[in-house]
Amino acid sequence: MRRTLFAACASLALAAPDIAAAQDGGRMTLQAYAGIFRDNYTETVVAPFTAARGTAVQYHDGGTSAAMLGTLRAQRADPQIDVVIMDVTTAAIACAEGLVEKIDATTLPVIADVGEQGRQAGGECGPAVTYDHLVMVYDSRAVTPAPTSLAAMWAPEHRGRIALSAPPNIQGLALTAILAHANGGNWRNLNAAMPRLRELAPSVQTFTPNPDGYTLILNDQVRFATGWNARAQLYSDQSQGRIGVTLPSEGTVFQINTINLVANSKNRAQALAFMAHALSPEAQAAFTERMFYGPTNTRTQVSAAALGRTALAPEFRERVIPLDWNEMVRLRDSWNQRWRREVIAASSR
Amino acid sequence: MSHLGLERLTRRFPGTATPAVDGISLDLPQGALLALLGPSGCGKTTTLRMIAGLEAPDGGRILVAGRDVTALPPHRRNMGVVFQSYALFPHLTAARNVAFGLEMRGVPRAERGPRVARALELVGLEALAQRKPRQLSGGQQQRVALARALAPQPDLLLLDEPLSALDAKLREEVRDEIRAVQQRLGTTTVFVTHDQTEALAMADLVAVMNQGRIEQLATPEEVFERPATRFVATFVGRAAILGAEVVGEGMLRAGGATLLAAETPRPGKAEIFIRPHHIRPLAGDVMAENVLPGRVLRRVYTGDIITLDCETAAGNLLAEVAGGSPGAALQPGQEVRLGFAAADLRVFPA
Amino acid sequence: MIGLLLCLPAALILGVGFVWPVVLLARISFNRTTDMGAMEEAWTLDTYARIVTDDFTWDLAWNTITLSAGCAAAAVALALPVTLLIRNAPPRWRGLMALMAVAPLLVSGTARIVGWMAILGDQGMVNALLTGLGITSDPLRLINNLTGVRIGLTESLMPYCCLVLIAGLGRLDSRLEEAAATLGATRSRTFLRVTLPLAFPALLAAFLLAFVLGVSAFITPRLMGGGRVFVVATEIFDLALETVDWPAAAAMAMLLLGTLIAAMVLRGVLTARKVAG
Repeated sequence: MRRTLFAACASLALAAPDIAAAQDGGRMTLQAYAGIFRDNYTETVVAPFTAARGTAVQYHDGGTSAAMLGTLRAQRADPQIDVVIMDVTTAAIACAEGLVEKIDATTLPVIADVGEQGRQAGGECGPAVTYDHLVMVYDSRAVTPAPTSLAAMWAPEHRGRIALSAPPNIQGLALTAILAHANGGNWRNLNAAMPRLRELAPSVQTFTPNPDGYTLILNDQVRFATGWNARAQLYSDQSQGRIGVTLPSEGTVFQINTINLVANSKNRAQALAFMAHALSPEAQAAFTERMFYGPTNTRTQVSAAALGRTALAPEFRERVIPLDWNEMVRLRDSWNQRWRREVIAASSR
Repeated sequence: MSHLGLERLTRRFPGTATPAVDGISLDLPQGALLALLGPSGCGKTTTLRMIAGLEAPDGGRILVAGRDVTALPPHRRNMGVVFQSYALFPHLTAARNVAFGLEMRGVPRAERGPRVARALELVGLEALAQRKPRQLSGGQQQRVALARALAPQPDLLLLDEPLSALDAKLREEVRDEIRAVQQRLGTTTVFVTHDQTEALAMADLVAVMNQGRIEQLATPEEVFERPATRFVATFVGRAAILGAEVVGEGMLRAGGATLLAAETPRPGKAEIFIRPHHIRPLAGDVMAENVLPGRVLRRVYTGDIITLDCETAAGNLLAEVAGGSPGAALQPGQEVRLGFAAADLRVFPA
Repeated sequence: MIGLLLCLPAALILGVGFVWPVVLLARISFNRTTDMGAMEEAWTLDTYARIVTDDFTWDLAWNTITLSAGCAAAAVALALPVTLLIRNAPPRWRGLMALMAVAPLLVSGTARIVGWMAILGDQGMVNALLTGLGITSDPLRLINNLTGVRIGLTESLMPYCCLVLIAGLGRLDSRLEEAAATLGATRSRTFLRVTLPLAFPALLAAFLLAFVLGVSAFITPRLMGGGRVFVVATEIFDLALETVDWPAAAAMAMLLLGTLIAAMVLRGVLTARKVAG
């Protein structure tokens, strides 16, 4: 009953011309982020896959990675999802709990074309499918000239006009790691980051930007926020450049999404085919051109314009700090505590 | 001299066509008990609430001992009010309820105790002083409410249907008690009731109210025996009303018979009214000033009094006869001659 | 028999919508979390021990209780005059006024908070007025801190207090206040000596409801606290959706639920004793 309902929804979700073909190539369900990720991923990756293979793909809006993990846990006995795209640390949990399958190039040959960092990120489970990275976003009307360094946020004239995400949010962890690296030479060196964060704390308006930093900038509430590059680039375009995006001179860290095969998938063949497609140079290029997520397949050919807006551009490449998110998970609790005691406590307003 | 004076007192509720109280005036001497008597909606409670200051009049004045209190808020009027529901403070004991008014008027603590005790003693509740209202019976609550109203020695005591929540037997007992206490203290009192027996039994003066006006203001006897209007006649006590025609000074015709009356309006259609206890079934050829032949329809025996419902050519009449008197043995179907005095006949223009 | 049958839908909804999730939550709270965040099936009290021995938990508990008790008291204090106004209004206006008092319940919590940002923000209406009038030069910090949460939470609890008080004071006989007036009590003394003592049970009920809602409030502390206000509910959110430590989130939720149930039972016992005595 539930399966047929899903199938019906899946057919409805697809464009009419695909329906006939879709019935030939079977069906599968993909769980990934909602909103603009869904819109762009559907157009550049999912739709061409369905057109080529005749496989109907139902896109299940997963919310945050944690929520997606929750869905996988709840459906452990009877999975309704075949492929999941989620943040690397959450994917590692899913992998450890056996919610997603261990996979390598023998099952999915395209994995061989994924860069080493991308393969390692997924551990024994699915490889990286997108690279995103932490950027500083700012109000280009209020902040001139365009800042190149995180240091711009420490300027006294921007006091009270800064939105940061505090740990355990991963943007907060990423910012802390960048400051640790810049001031202490190692992203794990929390002690090197703390003084800078304590200095910045009183300038911070909110540690829980709502709904997000981009909106707060557009509403004139703040001038600086942290963000993930892909979304920031899109919002920058949508706001005709009002939102400025900077890859800080201090460096940046990747946010990695991996693509995973759900354990006991009922549509394993279709799921593997989709993963192969998602990791293919064509699909990777199309998504990068559209949304500026860095490709993970080393054979991907991307226009210079698009590549320049990812962290994979030659001029940015060396700024990417080799942060291991799975190691970060173990540090997270102590970072979280020190933030609360030293940074947030120092930020009382 | 007049202790309470109402001058053309008027109250009109928003959105209603007719005033609830329509320009009533009256004077009440010191120490008297006035009953405001009337059916529900006649304006009697509104009048009382205006006297207490709980309702603002739209026109007219209220005078207490010659002083205009119309604009004073209730807490500055020094009046004791007993509400229909008693409105005892449920969170305070009987004694604290009674002490409340003394406290609010700034009576020193040392003086309060004895005065509370006296007030409770007055109503015979000194033993229950420490009870909360919900631990008291209806009659006891009523007495506490009375003691509370009287303890501050008010200029006026106002009672709003104080007996209506009591059962019939208790009602009579408390009624007599209120009257006794009122007379002992000599407190000028206004008493609202829809029960004519209560009004007649307790009051020095009765104001019969209808549709916001006073129909008659007089002693209980006067109101009962000589109702001023058809409304008073029918509202107070039982009576039969017969159609008639005034044919001359003191003379009228009803059902083919000629009747004599002490007073008559000008000739024309009229209604006549006779109290049942003024009507006597006549034995043999005994004569009376007025005689109407008729027939007994029903006979109701209530012990000391027997009520006969009689049919005459002029209409039905009620006659009350004492047990053992002539006529007590009359049975339904029997012919009867009904006699009554000209002075007992009231005539109203139709 | 028919009565039981009629209760069935409610029992089903309660069972499916509340009891079963709570059972699942309780089960999860006994699982173990590995150091990399994975959940292992187990029957252990380790998670509870970890939470109870963490000083931060007790800070959270204290913050939560003082915040919600303060806001509940403020909400009751602010709702009381509103309710008295409604009670003394002409009957035909009463319904409309009561509806207005509880109207905030019809607005989503998030939308309300967006409104508060426009009012309380550093560039919001209040600060624009204050700086415009030259009263302050620096904007007052009215949001993204504890002050903001106090304002927002009090406002969000007020409609519930109004609901309880409208029902509670509706049963209060206005003749009692009239009786006090005829006994020489001014309006203020009538309020202090009669209205307030009689309204006390309703005030207490409103406070307890607001307190319980305040303790479990999440949206307001999260969105108006600017990440500076830590209460049990925001911590549960962080544990469940940021650090993905479900056993800890579940254990903390169970502790909160247990505390609230204990508080309710205690209140029930106390009221029962008061009625009996």
